[in-house]
Amino acid sequence: MAKVTPTGELVDEKLVVSGVSKVFPHRKHPVEALDGVDMHVDAGELVCLLGASGCGKSTLLSIIGGLETATTGEVLVEDELVVGPGADRGMVFQAYSLFPWLNVARNIEFGLEVAKWPKARRKERVAELLGIMGLSEFAGTLPSALSGGMRQRVAIARALAPEPDMLLLDEPFGALDAETKRHMQDFLLTIWQRTRTTILMVTHDVEEAIYLSQRIYVMAARPGRMAAEILVPFGTSRGPTVKRDPRFLDLRDELGDLLAS
Amino acid sequence: MADPAAITTGTTSPRSGDRRAVGGRPAVATRGKVQHQLLGIRSPLAGRWRLLLGVLGVGLVLVVWVVAASRGDSSSVLVPTPAATWRALADMWSEGTLWTDLWASFQRVLIGYGISVAIGIVIGILIGSFASAASLLEPPIAFLRYIPATALIPLFLLWLGLDESPKIWLIVVGTVFYNILMTADVARSVPRQMLQASYTLGAGRRTILRRVIFPHSLPGIIDVARINLAAGWLMLVVAELLAADKGIAYRINQAQRFRAVDEMFALLIVFGIIGLVSDLFLRWLRDRVSPWAKA
Repeated sequence: MAKVTPTGELVDEKLVVSGVSKVFPHRKHPVEALDGVDMHVDAGELVCLLGASGCGKSTLLSIIGGLETATTGEVLVEDELVVGPGADRGMVFQAYSLFPWLNVARNIEFGLEVAKWPKARRKERVAELLGIMGLSEFAGTLPSALSGGMRQRVAIARALAPEPDMLLLDEPFGALDAETKRHMQDFLLTIWQRTRTTILMVTHDVEEAIYLSQRIYVMAARPGRMAAEILVPFGTSRGPTVKRDPRFLDLRDELGDLLAS
Repeated sequence: MADPAAITTGTTSPRSGDRRAVGGRPAVATRGKVQHQLLGIRSPLAGRWRLLLGVLGVGLVLVVWVVAASRGDSSSVLVPTPAATWRALADMWSEGTLWTDLWASFQRVLIGYGISVAIGIVIGILIGSFASAASLLEPPIAFLRYIPATALIPLFLLWLGLDESPKIWLIVVGTVFYNILMTADVARSVPRQMLQASYTLGAGRRTILRRVIFPHSLPGIIDVARINLAAGWLMLVVAELLAADKGIAYRINQAQRFRAVDEMFALLIVFGIIGLVSDLFLRWLRDRVSPWAKA
């Protein structure tokens, strides 16, 4: 759905979530994981869902991915109602999602084979992604021989391969050490700047959310709900220096307080 | 700390001076306990120790055998000497009965256990993948597997007669429920995130079963087949003792009538060798078809 932003730009709303609730049934204590969540992501935006563990942010992402169904409410992607998973919403998880018996190139090719791309186009696309991801020399390597950061790169490449409308990332760097995590954040920014894919990312890391996203939805727990929507004042091309920007530090404290409350 | 150069060279650093002093002083007591590699829990063992203990284990069995063989008087031999056993084996080999019996038994296990594994793969993967299949099939299987397969022999004889088919079906029934349930566990161990990632790559049910769940489960399935194979041979022995005109267990039964203990021992050893060889083969096969799962 096209809409006009306050600055007069015309943008497409890629994703619209309206009134989504999720109750996990249980005989004595049904769990209210999400309560009337509204949100949206515009085309080409990078948005983070930030919240402490148990706030339902991963459940929300699963519902958008079509892996779980909402108890009430609906999810629209490009004005179409989400009823199940599909390659139009590529997902990346924290770990354990690469096929260990397929090498890097074959992992990336999987979605293209499923979508029945002709072989020549598949090879071309895989080679392109291997190049973008800096994985060309590891095309024939099995995932078990890769480091954690490399594996996540392959997972991102695999999700990007079938040219999805948007990318859903579920704490993709949560299992990485601090150093690798920083590299991967810069890497994700580069990928996003180059491809301008719409990205929705779940994280519990405040600095990660500020550093990467243009907008942050802060969630609160029990029941899971939207607590705040924060605009991040840095442009689309930003580097590690913004981490020393006073606005970055203010935002970090503000979000820290929000999460603690 | 005013001069950083001093710290890096360590010439005037008080810290490095301390270290020297500590290193130069002899220890006044010990702390902790030294554990010998043979007795430490999970402590790694040097190669020569492993070899020595391995030889010792086999040697021990041989010594017990030789001692037992030398105790009885020659008129009523209950335990043959290793030499006599070897002669009996060589005789059966040259006469050709060993090969006839071996092939007859092997064939029955191959067909019966093959059917069992095939059923185990199909039903097991269904149970491990679909909650509906699990709800439908797990209760009856949980019940059926507690019926001792050997208790079904009279029924099988009644239904199927005396030829090959009751023997083969006994092997199937005696192993199939274990193959199904253990394969189901293997299929269930496919990480949920791997399945979810597959779905979000556009894969449907059929693709996920064929291209994700099956390849992920394959090494585990071969391990299940390897572990339950012993039960397959057990069922074969029961079947052959009951009604057969050839086969290794049949031959053991025949040898008993002539009190030919040397022959019986030789055939028991043949069983052991078959087990060992098939175990090694299936391990090799698993590493061959699923090199990614190698420990």
